[in-house]
Amino acid sequence: MVKKKMNRRTFLKYSAAFGATTAVAGVPTLLRAQPPEIKIASIQPVTGVIADIGISMRRGNQMAVDDINARGGIKSMGGAKLKLLLADTEAKEEVARTEAERVIKEGAVCLVGPFLSGNAMTIATLCEQRGVPFVMDVAAADDITRKGFKYTFRVFPTTTKFADSMLFYMDKIMKEKNISKIRGVLTNTGDLFGRVQGATFKKAVTDKKFPIELVGHIEYPLGIQDLSAEVSKIKALKPDILFPVARPGDAKLMIRELYKQRVELQGIISPGSPGWYEPEFIRDMKALADYVMDNVPWYNPIGKMYKEVNAAFSKKYPGKYIDTNSGYAYLGVLVIADALERAKSTKADDIVAALQKTYFKQDLMVGLAVAFDSRGDNINADTAMIQIINQSLKVVLPEKAAEAKYIHPMPKQLWERGV
Amino acid sequence: MNLNLILQLALSGFLLGGVYSLIALGLSLIFGVMRVINFAHGEMMVWGMYVAYTILLWTGVDPFFSFLVSAIILFILGYLLQRSVVNRILDFPEAMQVLPLVGMAMVFENSARLIWGPDYISPQSKFALSSISLGPLTIDTPRLMAFSIAILITVLVLVFLKKTDMGKSIRAAADNRLGAFLVGTDVNKVYAVCFGIGTACVGSAGGLLVPIMPLSPYIGAPFTLISFIIVILGGMGSLTGAMVGGFIIGVAESIGPEVITNIFHGLGVDLEFPHTMKQVVSFFILIVILILRPQGLFGGKKR
Repeated sequence: MVKKKMNRRTFLKYSAAFGATTAVAGVPTLLRAQPPEIKIASIQPVTGVIADIGISMRRGNQMAVDDINARGGIKSMGGAKLKLLLADTEAKEEVARTEAERVIKEGAVCLVGPFLSGNAMTIATLCEQRGVPFVMDVAAADDITRKGFKYTFRVFPTTTKFADSMLFYMDKIMKEKNISKIRGVLTNTGDLFGRVQGATFKKAVTDKKFPIELVGHIEYPLGIQDLSAEVSKIKALKPDILFPVARPGDAKLMIRELYKQRVELQGIISPGSPGWYEPEFIRDMKALADYVMDNVPWYNPIGKMYKEVNAAFSKKYPGKYIDTNSGYAYLGVLVIADALERAKSTKADDIVAALQKTYFKQDLMVGLAVAFDSRGDNINADTAMIQIINQSLKVVLPEKAAEAKYIHPMPKQLWERGV
Repeated sequence: MNLNLILQLALSGFLLGGVYSLIALGLSLIFGVMRVINFAHGEMMVWGMYVAYTILLWTGVDPFFSFLVSAIILFILGYLLQRSVVNRILDFPEAMQVLPLVGMAMVFENSARLIWGPDYISPQSKFALSSISLGPLTIDTPRLMAFSIAILITVLVLVFLKKTDMGKSIRAAADNRLGAFLVGTDVNKVYAVCFGIGTACVGSAGGLLVPIMPLSPYIGAPFTLISFIIVILGGMGSLTGAMVGGFIIGVAESIGPEVITNIFHGLGVDLEFPHTMKQVVSFFILIVILILRPQGLFGGKKR
């Protein structure tokens, strides 16, 4: 075979020919005025240190899209179907940006994602530059919506909301159990969410002069594989209660280390973080998971929508259930669909205008209808206090939604549970 | 200064350091013989973990026994990887050797995700939760066992290299590839076996870590990095260096933040050295050692 050498001229010739062909081929697509599908993009950390949650969220996004399409798509736009473009941030900020850029180029009219606050920050910045609406299903760090971004909305509670609810519930527990003062140790992961969640809780405690004395604040990297040093330090500080902001891997690691090092605690109460409610946590930790409390934006156990969605989700993914993350991932897409329905258009400004006027009634998650304030935060997002009792998850506070009464202090230390 | 706490930290760091040594030994052996850095090292360790986990799940055999199976399977994987990929890139410039192995790391990582799923798993095993109290100190039994077995394997590998014919061939091929070839050594086979032994080391280390750490497909990369630090610190290709380096890094990362915080407080500065910056301690030690001894602690003559 004769090898042809590519020089500048031939290159120009070929690229001109290529350009011309694509331009001609592109015309028919332009002629189709109303495409029968609307592209939105799910951008989640599907691989990398937090892949377990990322996948769970992508499933939530996808199931919502499928359900909407099954119900006839966006009716105000002639039943246009939603098409979910999939993007993976790999839990890295720089990848989040390039992936967001890619889906925008591929024609996504709105982005939903991305679980990690750090990733959310870069995506929100990019969406602002490109003028593409971005609905955060999960991502809590306050700062993301404090930049005056016009295109960014958040269905999830902010860290400030987390801290307020946490202290509200702690106040209740302390009053009911006649506890006047708590010695606490706070731990958090070192990513943006972990740091902000930890710092906001600490600030709320100090600002409100709340009777929790935080004798230690330990921060460790996300994806850590050895917590022995950190737990030794917790033991030396002798706290009554441990307030951990964790993720699935380190939550398990921490429970085991607390067990092995025989750290005596009255309770493990998370100010709000994953790690403590996933099915794998209870499956692997068994009785050690008991009595852990977590202040989370939980599903609404009595909600009709929750029951339907959860039944379908558990059927499709055996062993899994709707939790904070998959639930909000589902809700995020519903909010976008609702905005598209009212906007009757896929233009960014129309979608933003519709999102601003959102009043989306739901009983999937605790909290009332989704409605955004001027910053784009969901004013009705709320948390519940959940506790693992006999290896099953129960909402324990607020009382009106409670499935069981909370147990505090822990009646048995970790090593007394015969595991 | 809380002396008990420092002692406790030093102890857990030391025990984990033993396992680090075994991981780094594999990397160092491969580098010492083939002058190739196995960038898929940590990911192969994760495969070792998953093999031991699968055996535990199916048969109930504890990882402290099934690590042998991890070692065998990883030996085979390593052998095949050497024959199919690494052997072709031995004479390439170093920068070009990096890419195929980083690529293999991705293949291992994502195939583990496809096979075992993305969730963090902490399987229940017999010794996972036991510990021994020694006055104010707590000795973590699985750590102690992992440490002892890791040291035993390390010694066995060293004896193998010194005493057996294959071991001698490996050392000969490491010393002078052409010379070994000329006296009739099947250098390709020796290389493949050596790569296999290196990955078997890291595979067995993976098995030993199952009762200590939760597994997920994506935890490998930090271990590649840490074993790389250990190997540079101990001296590229030096097996003793890998062992000593493992202990240094294990202890330093464990006590580092606490000691530095105490130094801050001693100087009257109200600062906490955050645990998020643990790796700064390792890298700092690495830099200091590289300044004082650029060939590493036990690095011999330059190439």
